[in-house]
Amino acid sequence: MTSPIHVSPPILRLDQLNRRRAGRPAVQNLSLALQRGQVLGLLGVNGAGKSTTLSMIAGALRPDSGDIELNGADFLEHPELARQLIGWLPERSPVWAELSVIEHLDAHGRLRGLSGSALRQARTAIIERLELQPLARRLAGVLSQGQRQRLGLACALLHQPALLVLDEPANALDPVQVAALRTLIREQAANGTAVILSTHLLTEVTAVCDRVAILHDGSLQHEGSVHEGDHANLERTFFDIAMNRKAQAA
Amino acid sequence: MTLFAVMRLELRRLFVRPLGWILAALTLVELAWRFVLLLGNFLGTQIRLAALPSGPGFTDMVSVPLLSSLLTGGMLPFGLTELALLIVPLLAMSTLAGERSNGTLSLLFGAGLSGGSIVYGKYLALLVWLLLWLLLILAMPLSLAHATTFDWGKLAAATLGMVLLLAALAAIGVACSAFTAHPAIAATASILLVLGLFIVQLGAQAVGIDNGVINWLALPSHLEPLLRGLVSTTDVLWFVLVVVLALALATRRLNADKERG
Repeated sequence: MTSPIHVSPPILRLDQLNRRRAGRPAVQNLSLALQRGQVLGLLGVNGAGKSTTLSMIAGALRPDSGDIELNGADFLEHPELARQLIGWLPERSPVWAELSVIEHLDAHGRLRGLSGSALRQARTAIIERLELQPLARRLAGVLSQGQRQRLGLACALLHQPALLVLDEPANALDPVQVAALRTLIREQAANGTAVILSTHLLTEVTAVCDRVAILHDGSLQHEGSVHEGDHANLERTFFDIAMNRKAQAA
Repeated sequence: MTLFAVMRLELRRLFVRPLGWILAALTLVELAWRFVLLLGNFLGTQIRLAALPSGPGFTDMVSVPLLSSLLTGGMLPFGLTELALLIVPLLAMSTLAGERSNGTLSLLFGAGLSGGSIVYGKYLALLVWLLLWLLLILAMPLSLAHATTFDWGKLAAATLGMVLLLAALAAIGVACSAFTAHPAIAATASILLVLGLFIVQLGAQAVGIDNGVINWLALPSHLEPLLRGLVSTTDVLWFVLVVVLALALATRRLNADKERG
């Protein structure tokens, strides 16, 4: 089966991205492209460079070199593009502890340019979609990690971004919530949203992703499609990369 | 637009945190007590003052001493100026250091905000809080406007001085908060920096050096004339310079954060 030809520019294109952190290369010569409606899983062991990559894509960190194109425009020249186009769930979903769930959503909406009735509608819709009604008036500081994760997801989805950047989205979620998260991601992709998520769980990738990119020591080791029943192959590839590199390093 | 979104977010956070309310309540109680004592002293010396051809009035003896103790040679410690040296750094300490320590600074960057929007939004929110605080304090002498004669010009100059002082202290506080992830370090650095500006000329004066540059650097050299009713462009410019410099440093530091990670 041949993959369809995309005439529109990819929603996201990374070209030779490099970034050093704490004196060592965290991301090296990373090039990737992502089309609307695709779900890409960034897979890698701890410290592989997944979060650094996602932080750069979200605009929270500047690359040392390389280019990021968002919907065909230079993202590094126009970081304000993130406001409308990107929804980001950082690792551990940081919150303003003294604000309630509703206040969080309002603050995120305003930061993304929503106001008035548009903000209220978006807030109501996302609270219903993520079943946050019982938590709506609760302070973010007293939420459990799983609840914070759901709040972070709601904030990322509030303005209906074209690109969803999720750093370890299944962290701290219970199995029911993980299933709901997978459904949500597939729904977003079906609506044309591109999703890039990081994980170190192979099951996460095979369950929701169309494509997978395996990172190790900051560089791309493998990129390809994910098919049903691919779990064993993917597992083999992943362990080969991780073990070979470990052996080389030793 | 985004600047106002940041400002609104920060204002909300300032108003829901207990720290702001506690500081406001304690300082208002202290200043109300100070006001009552100053008023008592003014009323007690009424007969003597009436005999003087151009003796000090309500503004000189109550309104302005309420705003500062050290600079007006007042009989009571801790006027608004002296309290502001402590409470502004405490209020400003979390503006950026807190965001950095709990990871929410990256959320602001991730929303496409520049370092400048974040710094100015937070600074304006802090300034709004401080101006409301100042308004409540000024309401004490103003509540007697119907019963006494005000020197409105002098009061306006002193108020301008207070507004400029609070603006400068807030900018220094935000700048110190931009350079660390620990709010306590930000507050300590800010208090020490402000105290330094307050006393920088004292050492030189003690050894007989009345250098123009050192005097120009000192905060009291620019605040004192305003409290005495003298408004000069040089003094106003000094405060504006401090604000601009502090906010520029904070913005630069925040942009470097995004570069460095």
